[in-house]
Order: sequence, then C-alpha cells, then structure tokens
Amino acid sequence: MLGLAGMESSDAELVTRVLHGDVNAYGALVSRYRDRYARYAVHMLGNREDAEEALQDAFTRAYRSLARCEEPERFGAWLFRILVNRCRTSGARRVRRGQTFVHDEGALLNASEEHPAEQTMWREEIERAVGELSADQREAFLLKYVEELGYDEMSEITGVGVSALKMRVMRACDRLRILLKEVHSG
Amino acid sequence: MAEWGRTTLEMFVEELQRPVRLDESFDRRVMVKVRRLYAAQRPRGVRAVFAAIAGVSRRPAWAAALAASVVAVASVGIFRARALQPNAGATRLEPVTFVYVNKTARSVSVVGDFNNWGVGDTALVATNHQGVWSVKAPVATGLHRYAFVVDGKEWVADPSALRAPSDDFGLPSSMLVVEDASK
Repeated sequence: MLGLAGMESSDAELVTRVLHGDVNAYGALVSRYRDRYARYAVHMLGNREDAEEALQDAFTRAYRSLARCEEPERFGAWLFRILVNRCRTSGARRVRRGQTFVHDEGALLNASEEHPAEQTMWREEIERAVGELSADQREAFLLKYVEELGYDEMSEITGVGVSALKMRVMRACDRLRILLKEVHSG
Repeated sequence: MAEWGRTTLEMFVEELQRPVRLDESFDRRVMVKVRRLYAAQRPRGVRAVFAAIAGVSRRPAWAAALAASVVAVASVGIFRARALQPNAGATRLEPVTFVYVNKTARSVSVVGDFNNWGVGDTALVATNHQGVWSVKAPVATGLHRYAFVVDGKEWVADPSALRAPSDDFGLPSSMLVVEDASK
C-alpha cells in the first residue's frame, strides 16, 4: 500500500496527500491508528467483531469527511472522536437488541497463549468488570485511565463537561472496586 | 480513589492497555471501501463504469438474467433490460426491496453506490427463521451496483441478480436498474 516513506510522514502530510487524490496515503493513516484505536473499541464494545465494524466505519467516515478535518496535524484525535461517537451508537444499538456484554474472545485467546492460567483468569475478571460498568462510566474510565487523556481532552471528545466526567470516572472506580472485591472474596 | 488499592488499579489498567492487534485483512477491507468512495467521487471513473455496464447490457443473456432477478429483488416494476442507461438526470427515489437468503448469517447489509458502499448503513432484517433477510430502501432511479455484506466482512454478489462486470477492486457485485414507477 505505502512504503516506509508513507509511514514516516506526518499526519498532516498524509492528509494533504489524500485530499490531493493520493488515496493510497490513507492506508498509512489506517495502519498508524488501527491497533491503538482497536483497543478502545474492543474494551468499549466488548467483542472484536463489533469493534472492527465500528473502527472500519470510523475510518470510512473520516475519509468521507476528510476535507472537514480542520487540523490535519491532529488527524488522530479527530478520528478518535469519530470512533468514540460510533462506539456510542453501536453500544446503544446493542442495548436495544437486548444483547449482553460479551468477552473479547480473541484477546482471551491471546492471553492464554502468552500467559499462564492465572493471567487468563485475571483477564476474564477484568473483561467482566469492565462490561458491568454503564456505557457512560466505561467510556469515561477507558478514556481517563487506558487512553490516558486529560479531562479537557475527554470533554472535547465526548462533549460532556469536565465535572460530569470526573463524577463518571469516580463512580466507575467505585464500581470496579466492588466488582473486583467480589471476585476475590468469592 | 485513595482507598482503592493503587496496585489493583495499576494492574487493572496495565491489562487493559495491552495492545489489541487486528490482522492485515482489516487494512485491506478499509482500503477497498475507501477506494470505492474515491472512484465514486471521480466523474471520469463513474462514466467509465457505466459505459462498461451499458456495453454488456446489450447481450440477450443479460436480459433473461435481469428478469430472473425480480425474484430476489422484488420491487415496483423496476426491471427492464432496455432501460440500461446511466443515471443521467435521474433523481427520483423508488422503494426497492433487497432480499438475500443465508441461514448461517448473523447480520446482512446491502452496500451500493446508492449508499456510498457504507457497510451497516442499510441493514437487512431476518424476516423469518429460514434465513431470509430483507430490507426496503429508497434508491434513485437509474443503474446501480450493489452487493451484500454478510457478518460485516464477507462481500457477496446477489446470487439471483445480474453480476456486474468486475471492477478495480476485485469484489463481486450485482447490477440493479431502478425505473421511474410514475412513467
């Protein structure tokens, strides 16, 4: 798709190339952000299939709207905002369908290959605990602690006020503490 | 936060921060869609596709196949082989029912130039437990390419409709002609 030269280019350079008709330059952006954002989508949606669909849709939507990306040097942040919104939509649709949160089987499989059984059990506990959080709390917790964003960035991405986000993170932590304690005491 | 053991939080987050790796086919799927969008935006490319389709449409076999496709894509009298003209001046929307049979599919959507090849934009609904999926969607009058996407990944042409000539992307697709029902 693109050689190393494409991978070394800045986001702004690649976006400019795409907007000038070099569609292959978009492949470098896909490769650059694929795995990093897949992590968020998998944890947010709870399974790899939905996560891949959401991420694929986010990349496609971003391409369609690329001319509206006002800060090409921050393409990654812009794409992430699209993905966060897409995950919200997908999560709401899943709730309407009455589906329950399921584990990321692929991640569990990888964990079992790379780590001993205890690690796999720990991983399962974590997946289950994250799935027990409400969508709002899960989103805030993942953005804060896993993606390591500041509250201002989180507010910009989600459109939610900083105070509300802090409350969601705090409640998520409280809930996780209870859930994990239940697991260890059980 | 303070009373929650920090070690537990760190372990928890550390596990969640493990990379999630997607296989290379993800990039290919995204870029297939992106290239389709790019081609759809290029006037020259679009005209070339229509010219190719219109050329093939004069074959008698296509007319017979087109009639057969009514079973799979039931609609309001939209199929007539003679009407294989590009979308010139066509803006009227007509309801088209897309039907696909697959007993093992967990999800089916229809993608085409009429919805910018957006997977998931037009989802089919399982109408019974026999694997029959369908959706009615408004499609502009004229000539279109379309395909079904099964389980969000597998791209298949409509087995009951005309197969479109292969395009630059190597993915199967079918042809659809929507005529103005008011005429």
